[in-house]
Amino acid sequence: MALHINNLENRWKIRRDGEQKVTGNLKYLTDLSFPDMLYAGVLRSKHPHAVIISIDTKEAEDLPGVAAIITHKDIPGLNGFGLIIQDQPVLCKDKVRYVGDAIAAVAANSKEIAEKAITLIKVNYKILPPIIDPEEGLHASAIPLHEKGNLLHSASFKKGTSDLEDIFSSCSAVVEDVYLTPRQMHTYMETEGGVAVPEEAGKLTVYAPTQHGFKDQLQLSRILNIPKENIRVVSSPIGGSFGGKDELNIQPYISLLALKTGKPVKIHQSRRMSIKSGIKRHPMKIYMKTGADDKGKIVAHKVKIMADTGAYATLGAAVLDFAVEHSTGPYRIDHVNIEGYAVYTNNGVAGEFRGFGGNQVTFALETQMERLAEKLNMDSTVIRQKNIRKEDDLGPVEQEIVPTDGANAVLKEILKSPILLQKNKQNKREEFKVKGVGYSITMHGGGLGFGRPDPSGARLSLTKEGKLEASFGFEECGQGLITSIEMIMVDTFDCSSEDVAILIGDTSKVPHSGSSTASRATNMVWLGINKLKDTFKEKLLTLAEYYTNMDKDLLTFGKGGIWQQNKNKDRTNLVISYKELAAKCEELPLVATTYHFPTTPNAIDGGHYLYTFAGVACEVEVDLLTGRVVVTKIDHVISAGPAVNPMGYLGQIEGGASMGLGFTLMEDAVMEYGRYMTENLDSYLIPTILDIPNETQVTALEELSLGDTFGPRGVGEIGTVAVAPAIVSAIHDATNLWVTKLPIQPAEILKAVEDQLLKGMEVQYE
Amino acid sequence: MNNQKAAEKTTKFTVNGQEYELSLPPTYRLVNILRDVLNLTGTKISCEVGRCGACSVIMNGKLVNSCLIMAFHIDGAEIITIEGLSKETLHPIQEAFLQAGALQCGYCTPGMVIALKSLLDENPNPMREEVQNALCGNLCRCTGYEGILRAVEILENR
Repeated sequence: MALHINNLENRWKIRRDGEQKVTGNLKYLTDLSFPDMLYAGVLRSKHPHAVIISIDTKEAEDLPGVAAIITHKDIPGLNGFGLIIQDQPVLCKDKVRYVGDAIAAVAANSKEIAEKAITLIKVNYKILPPIIDPEEGLHASAIPLHEKGNLLHSASFKKGTSDLEDIFSSCSAVVEDVYLTPRQMHTYMETEGGVAVPEEAGKLTVYAPTQHGFKDQLQLSRILNIPKENIRVVSSPIGGSFGGKDELNIQPYISLLALKTGKPVKIHQSRRMSIKSGIKRHPMKIYMKTGADDKGKIVAHKVKIMADTGAYATLGAAVLDFAVEHSTGPYRIDHVNIEGYAVYTNNGVAGEFRGFGGNQVTFALETQMERLAEKLNMDSTVIRQKNIRKEDDLGPVEQEIVPTDGANAVLKEILKSPILLQKNKQNKREEFKVKGVGYSITMHGGGLGFGRPDPSGARLSLTKEGKLEASFGFEECGQGLITSIEMIMVDTFDCSSEDVAILIGDTSKVPHSGSSTASRATNMVWLGINKLKDTFKEKLLTLAEYYTNMDKDLLTFGKGGIWQQNKNKDRTNLVISYKELAAKCEELPLVATTYHFPTTPNAIDGGHYLYTFAGVACEVEVDLLTGRVVVTKIDHVISAGPAVNPMGYLGQIEGGASMGLGFTLMEDAVMEYGRYMTENLDSYLIPTILDIPNETQVTALEELSLGDTFGPRGVGEIGTVAVAPAIVSAIHDATNLWVTKLPIQPAEILKAVEDQLLKGMEVQYE
Repeated sequence: MNNQKAAEKTTKFTVNGQEYELSLPPTYRLVNILRDVLNLTGTKISCEVGRCGACSVIMNGKLVNSCLIMAFHIDGAEIITIEGLSKETLHPIQEAFLQAGALQCGYCTPGMVIALKSLLDENPNPMREEVQNALCGNLCRCTGYEGILRAVEILENR
């Protein structure tokens, strides 16, 4: 159904945390302050690649108001962090590998003193030439950035014959090109920050946003060399993350300094520091060669992905695996050869970002589909239909997946978009403006994939206040998870919103649920509550039976408490309120479970089991005088199972689309010789309210295949994945130019217009 | 810091109707006065160069980025922050934001609400283009601005 505020009735649910947010009353973790709190700053590297000869903190230490300075010498445990491989130094000892590398941190009585002290720390460097290109990084002569060299990870997938060239030579059409994607920045509005507060007996509470509180706890325990149990991580609410706050950022520095000084220590990074130190989306160089026969059947597909993973590993390997897996998208191709390389360079750090490698390869793949159609003089839809996966087909890396007809469903539905139907009409030309339309589809895996521990946990309990409490180790990044939990609880127990309590974002109180990442949280919440609901109901109804002397079979859950029901299962009267029941209980009922994200049974590393699908259609307007592209209309069709929380769902697609628009048209944290050319939001531009389409339509296809018991899939990423190729296709429709490098450069458009429109087509302007 | 202390000046201003008389360095920024001195953390901080609008407040009836306003600017000024919009009940803009799903992480929301209030105070029935022009200095990374435009529609239909 079309997701629209006016057609969702009571499914359009106001955010549970909304009032606190619109009034400004919500305390984000970077808004917190504590008595006697110190402010800290971090000295980051001056160079993208250098040997550290000496670090002199003497003068900084002598500055009045400085409470403590730490360097690599002050780390009691592991001087390293990283979600998978701990190859990023907390504080560099002998080498720096990117301009955000931390060398020292200072705690002082004020921000100003901390900043001043940082300028007084003297570091002697021996500058090394930076590695700024992944291909250069793999040369035998390149300086190894890490012990094992510059290759973080390689991944491949092969299917069919080993020699694709033979097949290409027999193809009716072959398209071969190199696609380049930008270093996109998450640009969460709340920059990294938080407060670490020392507690009694060597314990520590860390208030800092992260997508996975328990992982921060684990990483900090290694660094601080104290037991995990002594570290409490409070991690929600979060002012945006999009994958960018899953990895540690400032937590080690405030924690080390808090333990050293015995005082609360705060950092709230400036935007400049955030850009310098924070992770970005992997820039990828994608070599793609795709061949089809004369009927449009794709017979061979060869892909090589060079991913610039930057100085440290973080999730670079997993992002590459994801890109390799999604290189064939929703199409079934007989002969495939995909290889990918994630290479260390001195270009910042690339890591997890909404879409997780899917956005880059989908841009390349869907553009290839359009270009094959052009070469074969066929409609690209015919080619898509010829090659698209069917309900029971294997997944993209030949793994068993949950049957899904999502690919066909989104293709069918997006073709009904009014944007595309107008295509047959004459493109209206305003003076010096041309319009074009295009579309694309995609398929996107959820969860971490085969071979990666992906456990989750859930807990339901009756609180002494008489609330039905759902507790998860998930985070509220803004996506609306809290409301989704509320809606699933209300739906499951027929209770009211007021009956529900929700506990998340605090390692001292919640179960381990894994990271709020990979579009997995909503799905895991639904599965968890469904696993627990029967035992929880049984427990509460048994207690209600005991305290009311009424037959359990006559009792049921309802608004406010346990109700009596008649033979028709209609609730007749409230028997005991949840509050009364809680007051009577000697021991409050609690049920908990652990479970794993549904995973493919086939041992293919990183292979997914649950997928979501999207179709995007758009209309663009290209200004022939400036080369500027404006997306004027956009339609999205999403297949991701039932929409638990339509407002949240719609918001994810609308927001994801805007991020995809930025990726395509304007965003790139350009680096030269390992240094960022953008320092703040005055030169790193994200879409403003003036850049969005005039019309946006989102349609959710909520049906799942028969027998699919995995429930609603997450939609955190899917809305952003297929936007770029749809825009690129529309630009081609308008200008005949195939864009292969993002973000699209107006100069390139102007040149194409000059070459093709004015000369070749002899367009007449009215 | 001692130098700065010597240069402090008595600065009188009101925030949300409440009068303050504080001794402040003349170049101390309004965003810090609000957040760090008065603990009014509803006003957010994000780029500190006037490009994101997270720190928007209304000063003497005009929309300003509080990161670009210094203590010497505010002597005698009347300032309205997000905390001043709702007393017993929510401001209609806040209500519309909730209804429309105009917020996700919420970090840009106070600035966005303030910027919209500033527009609607001057122009109660703006065209879509006027709304877009008025809000284009307020960045939101979560919503794609669609919910914000829905909120404006709700306000118009009232």
